Amino acid sequence: MTKRIFRSSLIVGVSVFVASVALIMGVLYHYFSDITRSQLNMQTTLAARGVENAGADFFAGMDLKDYRVTWIDTDGSVLYDSVSEPEKMENHAEREEIKQAFTKGTGESSRYSSTMMERFFYCAERLSDGTVLRLSIAQSTQLSLLMGMFQPICIVAGVAIVLSFILASRLSKKVVKPLNELNLEDPLNNEGFDELSPLFRRLKSQQRQIRSQSEELQKRQAEFETVTENMTEGIVLLNSKGTVLSINHAAARLLGAENTSVGQDILEINRSLKMQELLRESGKGKHAEKIMELGGRRYQVHASPVVSEGEVPGTVLLMLDVTEKEQAEQIRREFTANVSHELKTPLHTISGCAELLANGMVKPEDIPTFSTQIYTEAQRMICLVEDIIKLSHLDEGADAMKWEEVDLYQMAENVTESLSAESENAGVRIMLEGESTKLNGIPQLLQSIIYNLCDNAIKYNHKGGTVIVTVKQQEQTALLCVQDTGIGIPAEDQNRIFERFYRVDKSHSKEIGGTGLGLSIVKHAVKLHNAVLELDSVVGKGTTVTVKFALSDSDTASE
Amino acid sequence: MRSRFDEQLALLNKELITMGALCEEAITLASKALSEGNKETARGVVPIDTDIDQMERDIESLCMKLLLQQQPVARDLRQISAALKMVTDMERIGDQAEEIAEIISFMNKLTAVSHTQIREMEKATIKMVTDSVDAYIKKDIALAESVIEYDDVVDDCFNHVKKDLLDIIAANPKAGESALDLLMIAKYYERIGDHAVNIAEWVIFSITGNKKGREMS
Repeated sequence: MTKRIFRSSLIVGVSVFVASVALIMGVLYHYFSDITRSQLNMQTTLAARGVENAGADFFAGMDLKDYRVTWIDTDGSVLYDSVSEPEKMENHAEREEIKQAFTKGTGESSRYSSTMMERFFYCAERLSDGTVLRLSIAQSTQLSLLMGMFQPICIVAGVAIVLSFILASRLSKKVVKPLNELNLEDPLNNEGFDELSPLFRRLKSQQRQIRSQSEELQKRQAEFETVTENMTEGIVLLNSKGTVLSINHAAARLLGAENTSVGQDILEINRSLKMQELLRESGKGKHAEKIMELGGRRYQVHASPVVSEGEVPGTVLLMLDVTEKEQAEQIRREFTANVSHELKTPLHTISGCAELLANGMVKPEDIPTFSTQIYTEAQRMICLVEDIIKLSHLDEGADAMKWEEVDLYQMAENVTESLSAESENAGVRIMLEGESTKLNGIPQLLQSIIYNLCDNAIKYNHKGGTVIVTVKQQEQTALLCVQDTGIGIPAEDQNRIFERFYRVDKSHSKEIGGTGLGLSIVKHAVKLHNAVLELDSVVGKGTTVTVKFALSDSDTASE
Repeated sequence: MRSRFDEQLALLNKELITMGALCEEAITLASKALSEGNKETARGVVPIDTDIDQMERDIESLCMKLLLQQQPVARDLRQISAALKMVTDMERIGDQAEEIAEIISFMNKLTAVSHTQIREMEKATIKMVTDSVDAYIKKDIALAESVIEYDDVVDDCFNHVKKDLLDIIAANPKAGESALDLLMIAKYYERIGDHAVNIAEWVIFSITGNKKGREMS
C-alpha cells in the first residue's frame, strides 16, 4: 500500500518537476540567446568604431573579456586575434559571417567552432578600409545550463522523494487504519463504510458458507470416526504410495501401531510378506485377501483398491477376526466325522447280522441272539440320532422351546426313579436329598441335564458306590448337585469332556454304552438357562457336578 | 528438486524394509524346515534368497544414484551410506539362511530335530534380525543396542550346542555326520546373529553419526 502510493506520488512529483524544468529551460534558453546576440551586435559595432578611430592600438586598450576579437584583412588573412596567434590561423575569407560582411557590411552566424569545441555566435562588420572586424562569444548550451543547475535539481528531487515517501506512508496508514479496525467477525456491523458494504455482504455470506461447510465436514468426520472406532474389525486407509491416511483403534491395536501412525508407511507398521503381496495386488486394482496371524489370533485381511477414473489412488485394508469362525468350522468338521463314525459302527453290526440271517446261515436256535443284537444296535442308533437331534435343536437356540415353572426336586425324583433299575444293575445306590425348588426353565432340557448327569454318575461308578443328588435353594440360586463315588476324571480331560463324542477312556466306550453326547447336551442346556456349571473331580474318589441356576425375582416371589 | 530427493529417500526406506522382511521370512522358513524335517520347506528358501540378492543390487544402484545425483550431506548421507552397508549384511543373512536350507535338504537321516539349544538359537537369531529391522524402522537406538547385547545370548547358545554335539559324537560315533551338520547350522545361525549386530550398528550410525568400533567376531 505504502509502496504503491509512494510510487505514484513520486511519479507525479518528478514528472511535474521535469516538465516545468523543460519548459523553463526552453523559454530561458531562447531569451538568453537573444540577449547574447544583441549584446554581441552592439559590442561589434562599438569595437568597429574603436578600430576605425584608433587602428591596431585599440586592441591594446581593449577590455572585452568574454569576447573573442578577430580582425581580418580584405584578402581573408587574419591581422589580429585575441586568442590565437594570427600567423597560425587559416584564411577566414570563406567563413559565412565574413562573406556576408564583405558583401553587405555586416554578417552573423552561429556554429560549432572546430578549434574551441563549443557553439559560438559570430558577428562581423566591415570597416571603412575594407577590413572586417569579427567578435564571437561562446553560447552556453541547454546541457551546460542544465549542468549548472544540477545541484539544485538534485536537492529538489531528493525533497520530492522524501516528501512523497512521508506522504505515502501517512496516507496509506490513514487509509488502512480504519480497514484494519473493521470487525471482520461481524462484517455487517461496521458503520461509516458505505462504499465497502458490498464487500461486507460478500464476506458475511462467505463466512456463513465456510462455517456451514466446516460443520458439515466435522460432522462427517465424527460420524466416520464413530463408526470406525467402534468397529471390532480393523480398518486402515492407505494412499497409492502405501502411506497410512487413517487407521482405526482396532487396527492400530492389531498391528501394534501407535497413535502417530498416520502419515507413516504401512510397511513400517507391518512388513510381512503377506501384507506386501496384498498391497501389490490391490495396487493393480484387484481385490485380495489373506489370512494373517496378528496378536495370537487369526485375521482375514481384505485389501480393496479404491478405483477412480481408472487409477488406484488408495487401498482399504479390512481385518476380520476369523479365529472363532475357524475354530467353529474345525469343530463342525470334527463333529461330522465323529457322527458318521458313530453311526457306522452299529450299522455294520446290524448289516452283518441281517446278512447272515438273510442267507440262512444262522441256526434256528441262534436267531434270537442275532435279532437281539440287531435290536440293541438299532436302539443305540436311535439314541444317538435322538441325541444329535437334541443337540442340533440346542444349536438352533431355545427360542422354539417353551419356558415354564418347574419344580427341580420333583423332576430329580422322577429321574432317579426311572434310573433305579439301571443303578441296581450297576450295584450303585442312588439317593435324593434337598427340598422343593421351583424355577423358570425348559422342562425337557432340565430333564436332560439331570438324566445325563445321573446316568454318567451311575455308569462311571464302582460297584457298591453311591450317587447323591441334591436339590436346594441357596439365596438367589437354585442348586443341583450330583455327587458320585466313581472313577473320577483326570485333570487333563476335565476341560474336554463337554466336547461332543469325547471320551476319557476310549477303549471301553462300547461296554459302557452311551453316545458320547450326554455332557455336550448338558453343557448346552445349562448355557441356555444362563446357569453355571462347576466340575470337581478326583481320580479314583469321585466326581461332583454342580449346576447353579440364577433365580429371577418372579421365581422367588412365587414360592 | 528437494521433494524428489525426499521421495527417493522414502523409496529407499521402503525397499530396505521389504528386504528386511524377506530376510526374516528366509530364516523363519529355514527354521521351520529344520524343526519339521521337511525338505520341501527347505527348498522354499532358495527363491527368497534370489529375491534378496536382486533387492541388494536394486538398493545399491538406488543408493549410488542418490549419492551421485543429489550429493547428500550430513544426516541424509549417513542414511544412504548406512543403507549401502546394511544391504550387504542383509544379503549375507539371506545367503546363510539358504546355506542352512541346503544342509537340511542334503541331511541323510532327516528326523525332526528337537534339539532345544538349536531351537533357542533359532528363536534368538530371528528375534535379533526382527529387532534390528524394527530398530531401523522406528529409528530406535535403545532397541539397536539391545540387539548388539543380545549377540552374547546367541554366542552362549552356540557354545552349548557345540558341547552337546561333542557329547553326542562321543556317545555314538555313528551320529557324527548329522551332528556335524547340526554344528554347521548352529554356526550359520551364529553368523546371522553377527550380521544382525552389524545392521544394528549401522542403524545407530545413521541416527547418531557414531560407529561403534566393534570387530566382527
